[in-house]
Amino acid sequence: MSNLSLKNGRNAGIVFGIIILIMFSTGFTLIGNQLVAKLIGNEGFKGLDQFKVFVIFMVLMGLWNGSTAARKPAIAKDEMMPAIANGLVAGLVFGVFSLVISVFFGTMLIIKVDIRNYLVNISPESTKLFLFDQTPVLGGAYHFGIALITSFAGAFLAHFTRTNQSLRNFIANSKRSVSDFSGSPKVVSTVNNQYFKIASYLVLAALLIIIPRQWGSYWNYVFGTVGIYVLLGLGLNIITGWAGQLVIGYVAFFAVGAYSFSLLTSPAPHNLMWNFWIALAVGVVAAAVSGLLIGLPILNLRGDYLAIVTLGLAEIIRILLKSDMLTDFTGGPRGLQKVGGPTLLGNSITSDIDFMYLIIIAVLVVTFFAYRLQNSRTGKAWYAINLDETVARATGINAYSSKLLALTLSAAVAGLAGALFASRNQFTGPDDHALMVSINVICLVIVGGIGNIPGIFLGAFALKGLPEILREIENYRLLVFGVLLIVMMRIRPEGFLPSQRPKLEHPIDLAKSGKEE
Amino acid sequence: MKNTSDQNISKIKLSKFLRPLITFLISSFLLYRIYEVVFIRQQFTPDIWVRFAISGLILGGMYALIAIGYTLVYGIMFMINFAHGEVMMLGAFGGYFIFELFNFIPTPTVADPDLTFLNSQPILSIILAFVAGVTIAGLSGYFLEKIAYRPLRKAPRLILLITAIGASTALQNLAMLLFGPTRKNVINPMILERSAGWSVLVSGKPVLITYTGVFSLVLSALLMVALYLVVQKTKLGRSMRAVAQDKNTAALMGVDVDDVISKTFIISGMLAGAAGVMWDIHMGLVNHYTGFLPGIKAFTAAVMGGIGNIPGAMLGGILLGMLEAVGPAALGIDFQLKDVIAFTILILVLIVRPSGILGEKLSEEKL
Repeated sequence: MSNLSLKNGRNAGIVFGIIILIMFSTGFTLIGNQLVAKLIGNEGFKGLDQFKVFVIFMVLMGLWNGSTAARKPAIAKDEMMPAIANGLVAGLVFGVFSLVISVFFGTMLIIKVDIRNYLVNISPESTKLFLFDQTPVLGGAYHFGIALITSFAGAFLAHFTRTNQSLRNFIANSKRSVSDFSGSPKVVSTVNNQYFKIASYLVLAALLIIIPRQWGSYWNYVFGTVGIYVLLGLGLNIITGWAGQLVIGYVAFFAVGAYSFSLLTSPAPHNLMWNFWIALAVGVVAAAVSGLLIGLPILNLRGDYLAIVTLGLAEIIRILLKSDMLTDFTGGPRGLQKVGGPTLLGNSITSDIDFMYLIIIAVLVVTFFAYRLQNSRTGKAWYAINLDETVARATGINAYSSKLLALTLSAAVAGLAGALFASRNQFTGPDDHALMVSINVICLVIVGGIGNIPGIFLGAFALKGLPEILREIENYRLLVFGVLLIVMMRIRPEGFLPSQRPKLEHPIDLAKSGKEE
Repeated sequence: MKNTSDQNISKIKLSKFLRPLITFLISSFLLYRIYEVVFIRQQFTPDIWVRFAISGLILGGMYALIAIGYTLVYGIMFMINFAHGEVMMLGAFGGYFIFELFNFIPTPTVADPDLTFLNSQPILSIILAFVAGVTIAGLSGYFLEKIAYRPLRKAPRLILLITAIGASTALQNLAMLLFGPTRKNVINPMILERSAGWSVLVSGKPVLITYTGVFSLVLSALLMVALYLVVQKTKLGRSMRAVAQDKNTAALMGVDVDDVISKTFIISGMLAGAAGVMWDIHMGLVNHYTGFLPGIKAFTAAVMGGIGNIPGAMLGGILLGMLEAVGPAALGIDFQLKDVIAFTILILVLIVRPSGILGEKLSEEKL
């Protein structure tokens, strides 16, 4: 007993307490509850059911809390006592947090102090929900009880799954059988079979042709946006994923593409009304040239300057577009209306289905080029620069021009995406080019798996598709992104679908930090 | 691949030739433009120029405080602490809530029944607001380092930078979700009312020097001196300089590197927090976006002065504030575009002199 450390339990309790405090004070408990209700198909639920869902939520939090407290590596594997004790301490701390929240905000509700002047998202409904519609003290007591019991149960379960031999064998066996199946010669030969490949491509092509016709225009809109973001992700991946140079203000090139396309096809300030395809080409070239020009002076510096310079460029472009000074030239804060749509053999394409095909074709073409680039001599040079620029130079790679090429190509893809985006929306304005676009793109590249093309598709779907489906959490999206970036960098910096490039033996030690010595 | 080395040589020659040329062209254009606007058009009278310069100086003091935080962290870890502006924003919110709280506590007297604690004890309120802002910002700097950056001590710089962007986004949106997106008016104590000040005659016309401005400027100067003394004269400062020079050797000499990095983050957070409370007092508006632009501009200031160089950050901050205030008038452009000036300066500095004004020629690794 003397050397029983309860630190893990205390820390887990504090972390979960702060999480529940943040969830409550940002109003997420209420919104999340509604979302769960929608997902389980109980859209219009009223009265007690809502509180039951919240009880389930708190039970899950408590279980997680307890298992975290008992699972920390500092606790010896086979000892039951410390695990359970830590779970109890975690439950105690977590319970105290919930109790304090309940009593404090419950009292505020009763004495009718409108806390929303300072904490906008704590509405009376969410406080009521948090108290399970009880008095503050009773609700707090419920919270305390739930936290204590569930944390205990969580700790016990975590300990049980760790120590019970038959359960562990079962898990190990099922893992092995899955990997055996996917790695078995039969499966591998099927996957690598030429006919299988051709067949799967055909199925994919058929799906891509059929699906946009079956969806409504809403889903075409959502997946059109996902497609645009796939393009942006593929573009950013060239410079950031392969050449290893972070570009924060990627939206600058997106804006250049969108605006040069829109100015050429829109009737408003200049009435040029160019052909779609020529304007598209001009947009791509303009973005590429802007990338080249910004890269020329910056890319011979090492370090993070490119990131900051592009950030500055993005802000400059946004402020200039928004200012009154350029209103006669670029439409000012109201943006450009009636941006032209595509034409094919004299017929203008206006339906969203056909535009979806255009986006799909653009994505396929860029993906094809990206794959070819990845395995080309240039792609290998980028990879070498990413791993160690000094060594890459020593092997005869011209780092400066390679990076310049990467930035130019990457900007060109952004220009393509921008032109398509403007054309699809038939509008472009300064607010379409806020810095958040770049942050989203960085997130999707990293979450999917930096440097890996399938990862970009996954990331674009997860970061642009899912929030469209789950409209309720729209406001929380960026908070979640930020936290996700930190967590990903900490536990899985290579992303969900890691790149299959060969790895260095000590990728972290050797690649960058070695230079500090 | 035969002629790669030749290509390299020609590139170097090109950049050697190109850089002075670009510098010359840009500076001659700017000088001509300033000459034209200031002396030929004579749009503004001297008192207006003085007004611009004063507001620039005050703004510059705040930028300098934030820029020191960037420079300290960059000097030690070679990372751009992208979330530093958000640390300042949290400090500003700390000060704002203290002012609100004190304005809520009634201390009625016979003469004035509506008197609140804020005005009956103004100096104490201001001190406590600074204590709150500085503490919150220092703590958030400490936890930011501990939670986000410390596990990545040996990771590539790209990963650190991405983490910093994540932290910045998360903190900004957390503040938005907690406190709401609207701008909040900060209530100052009566002795530091925002429109009050001394009136000085410049070429026959009155120029107002506000109390808040003088207060911010004096306080930022004092804080800069204090920081200079800490870095130059104390043991902590010596270890900070040692770690900045060479982490491994410093560790061999008995410096606790992790501890020094932690304390650096605390110090830079505290300076940013003080700047945040000054922002409250002088600017009077605070929301979740408050920290973003000053953060980026302070980074610009740090780069301009020479990143990693503390006097450089101070000089860069003051200079940037002045340029931003005087620039639009001197160049004859719209005042909406004052934010463009800072970013343009950033790009120009990196093109013309990447090591900054006071920065010595850094070795390639540090750039």
